[in-house]
Amino acid sequence: MGALSIEYGMINADNVEQLKKINQACFPVSYNDSFYEDMAKKQDENLCKFAYWNGFAVGAICTRVEPIPDCPGRSRIYIMTLGVLAAYRNHGIGRKLVTSVLDYFESQKDGTLFNTVDEIMLHVQTSNEDAMTFYGEKFGFEKGELVENYYKRIDPPHYLSF
Amino acid sequence: MSNDNPQAGQNRPLPKKESDLFKNVVKFYESKQYKKGLKNADTILKRFPNHGETLCMKGLIVNAMANSAAAAQGSKKKEEEGDKKKEAIELVKKGLMMDMRSHVCWHVYGLLHRSTQNYAEAIKAYKQALRIDSENLQILRDMGLLQIQMRDLDGFRDTRLRILTLRPNSKVHWLTYALSVHVNGDCEGAAGVLDNYMATLEKDSVEFQRNFESSELALYKNMVLSETDGGEDGLEGIRKALGHLDEIHHVCVDQTGWLIARLSYQLQLGAFDEAKETCFLLFERGSTEDHLVHGAYMCALLKCDRETCVEVEKMKGMGTVATLRPLSDEERTTLLHAYGNADNTEAAVTANGDNDSSIAKESLAKTYPRSAAIKRIYLTLLSPSSDEFKSSIDKYCQRQIVKGVPSLGWDLSSMYLMEEQRPKNVSHGESTAATTKVRYVLAKDPVDIKSHLVHRLIVQLVDSYIASLASNNTFPSDATTVVAPSTLLWAWYLRSILHEQAAEYAQGITLINKCIEHTPTAVDFYELKARLLEGGGDIQQAANVIDAGRDLDHQDRFINNQATQTLLRAGRGEEAKQRISLFTREEGNPEHNLYDMQCTWYELELADCWRRKGDLGRSLRKYMAVIKHYQDFHEDQFDFHMYCIRKVTLRTYCKLLKFEDELWGLPHYGRAAEEVIKIHLHLLDFPGKLKEDEEPDYSKMTPSERKKAKNIARKKKKAMASAGEVVGKDDASNKDDSASNTNGNKKKAKPHIIDEDSDGKELLALDHLEEAKKFAAILVRHAPKRISAWALQYDVSIRRGKMLLALQALYKMKAINPNDHELFSRIVDFSQKLSSRSLDSQGHAASQTVIASEFPKLMNENSLADFVTLAVEEIKADALSSLPMRIAVARAMLSTNVGSSSDATSLILDCKLNVRCVSVETCREAMQFMDSLGTKEEGGGENNNNKGRMMQLIMAKFPFAKDC
Repeated sequence: MGALSIEYGMINADNVEQLKKINQACFPVSYNDSFYEDMAKKQDENLCKFAYWNGFAVGAICTRVEPIPDCPGRSRIYIMTLGVLAAYRNHGIGRKLVTSVLDYFESQKDGTLFNTVDEIMLHVQTSNEDAMTFYGEKFGFEKGELVENYYKRIDPPHYLSF
Repeated sequence: MSNDNPQAGQNRPLPKKESDLFKNVVKFYESKQYKKGLKNADTILKRFPNHGETLCMKGLIVNAMANSAAAAQGSKKKEEEGDKKKEAIELVKKGLMMDMRSHVCWHVYGLLHRSTQNYAEAIKAYKQALRIDSENLQILRDMGLLQIQMRDLDGFRDTRLRILTLRPNSKVHWLTYALSVHVNGDCEGAAGVLDNYMATLEKDSVEFQRNFESSELALYKNMVLSETDGGEDGLEGIRKALGHLDEIHHVCVDQTGWLIARLSYQLQLGAFDEAKETCFLLFERGSTEDHLVHGAYMCALLKCDRETCVEVEKMKGMGTVATLRPLSDEERTTLLHAYGNADNTEAAVTANGDNDSSIAKESLAKTYPRSAAIKRIYLTLLSPSSDEFKSSIDKYCQRQIVKGVPSLGWDLSSMYLMEEQRPKNVSHGESTAATTKVRYVLAKDPVDIKSHLVHRLIVQLVDSYIASLASNNTFPSDATTVVAPSTLLWAWYLRSILHEQAAEYAQGITLINKCIEHTPTAVDFYELKARLLEGGGDIQQAANVIDAGRDLDHQDRFINNQATQTLLRAGRGEEAKQRISLFTREEGNPEHNLYDMQCTWYELELADCWRRKGDLGRSLRKYMAVIKHYQDFHEDQFDFHMYCIRKVTLRTYCKLLKFEDELWGLPHYGRAAEEVIKIHLHLLDFPGKLKEDEEPDYSKMTPSERKKAKNIARKKKKAMASAGEVVGKDDASNKDDSASNTNGNKKKAKPHIIDEDSDGKELLALDHLEEAKKFAAILVRHAPKRISAWALQYDVSIRRGKMLLALQALYKMKAINPNDHELFSRIVDFSQKLSSRSLDSQGHAASQTVIASEFPKLMNENSLADFVTLAVEEIKADALSSLPMRIAVARAMLSTNVGSSSDATSLILDCKLNVRCVSVETCREAMQFMDSLGTKEEGGGENNNNKGRMMQLIMAKFPFAKDC
């Protein structure tokens, strides 16, 4: 069974609990309530979305546009979370989710939302080789600086930025 | 009567000026301009204070004002409105006394009665009015409405005939008269009236053209014809109706209805080839998924007798003749030809020793390859023990699991058919035939399901799927095709449901937990997990789980309702209210909205919740709310009497009348009414202990049990008191809410009808026996096939000392189910009551004779001791006899001294709970019974031992139960 054909759906106050379930199943850290409260506030459905397969949410991506700290006036797309339930991995769902955000960026590059965007960025825990392969090899993200001792409660505590 | 008699009408007729004013009064009343009407009436009354008709009209207006005020304002000014109504009645009565010869006065008197739903009195008043003015169309029409509402069918027909005679050129009057003849059972007459009406029409009238109204009228006439008796075989009506269908084809817009009628007639007349043609026409129109048409088609193929055809026509859901009764081999072959696939039919047909491949070409599966119904029906045609069945169900399950169809488990459960003997209707000219027939019933009890061939087969299949899918994501039958990752998930889910069906709760939970871990975003899994927990005895946890599932999707009303229901069953009323109010109207109190929406399921569950908490007043209040809804349904009928005929939807109107006739027999009404009866009987038996008791079913307890229960109840009372404070506060805050709303919108602040007597104090003060008697009488009249209704009728009658009525109830129960435990314990009770009654209180000599000759038959002419002993033996002979029956017999053994308490206990313990009707509820009852033995005898130690064993059995069966 190769790629699964998925549909996208928006995240809102009525179904944000499903995002929580997906993230809890996918990540070793748990996000605080304010993250989900933010997500419940009708985010841009092109930046934050569920991937549905056969009627159920099996993955989700949450991204935002944020200013680059040392470059006034410039900004970047930051991938906050990307998770696909374990049973549904290796069917191209994660790739489709990232691609859909990238496509959105491409199509709106000169719009008010993206015209100051220079880069796309995310952080990965150093032990997460699957993720590093995923971003590095499939999407050509470049490795950035290593932040040591970022995570307090999980091991290893470092993360890499791309 | 001389003219100076005041009752003959003073000042009649009025002078010109006043008579004009009077006309205005009537006009203003009709246009609901009550204030103006009142003013004009008062002007007349100033000059003629004793003018009867004006007094009456004034009363009518005052009454209407009180009603509309009540509707707008709620009950805040209840007393004030009561006074207004009294004033209205007095005015009308006075007016009537002043002018008894005025049809207006009598008409008004009737209208007043009608507005208080006193229809019988209203009809009498109308009749008086008509005696004075026999041709008053308005009064006749009003009376006709009341007569059909009250089902005074003769009177209705007479009234409508008078109207038709007065106004023979109105279509509505012709139709209503025809209908009135029809409801009186004279179908031929009704058809004749319709013919006469058609004869009055011009040739090019719109009534002869193809449009909705002429179509409905034609089909109504057809229906009437088909109900006509006649001919030697009683089928003349059907023949006429079939012929008539051809005549009306050109005006019919409801083509499907037309075809279905034709199909039904053809089958009943045995015209099977024509019936098949009709089926094909229906299939072509798109009815391939309609099991009703398939059922008919199969009857035509099998050339079933008329009784069977009619039986199949009434089947619901996926029922066809194949799920009605066992098929013979020959019948199987015939049907397989029609429903088999080209490829698999051959195998099946060969297996049946017939190899005519030409027939397979007719196969529906080939003509309609995308029809799900045809594939599903095919499964029901195969013998469950055949290989073909196994491979077909294998394919069917695989397809559905790959698709991820959550309802598959439920779908498959309709194949757990068991044979049952039923008495046969004696039909025309058939005397020597067998008196019983074999019919299928659905296995529902876990014990039966577990041992059912189809269930075992499916379990085997699904287990093999899971093993294969878990190791390499393929089905065992096809190792090359890798399936989607959710396939294993749905296989687990199905297996979990199969466990649920067999009451294997712990195993079910293990699998559903895997599902939740696999895909935590699917609401269905939380729902099943909650069901498993509830079945397994942990309602609190069940409520938590389903509520977590609800949280996944706040827009899913179904899961929200399920969560509400489970919370109520867990006794968490406040949370439940909070959940359901997510889907009620935003403004105002959700309870009001739920009442206005007649949300019966919620009110029943809430009432059960109060009852379990021992708050019988509130509980009664909610059950009575449900009963009120049904009264409203009945009342609502009024609006249709005129509307339906005007719209010519006569077929539907006939169905409505029938529905209303059977309204009090509907299950939800029955549930509410039965609980009302039980509560009243409980209060009758234990007066003055309203809140102390936790369960209304104390009637069967021994004194020691009661003592114990009271101790528990005392503790509960304390808890209740503190809970009451909370509730009180809540009420106060609600009031604040409504008070603060007053400024914004007046309507919002209206007190609602359900706030009256919200804790049910008034209901608790009613005459318990009288109330119980009233509802028991309604139930046995309208739900005579409901065994629990007769059981309660017995309970009520025996308390009223009506031994004959009690005996009748026992006979009725026996006719419904001679093996019912409720019947058994009541026969024992009756016998004991009979022997303990003193001679002088035995009532009438005649009834004594009847009881003396009839009652022993219920015990098969045995003594009570022998009767109980036989029951004990019967239980020992039937390894599956139900737990409630065992408890009932065990109780009887002790009360009749047939056996010792250890004999009685072993009756329960020996079954190891592998018998019918084992649930947390029935186990709790068994434990209660065993508790009652504790202090009774010397062998307390042994009993403790037994209770320990029972506890073990219960925990093995219901692993999540905590309190038994």
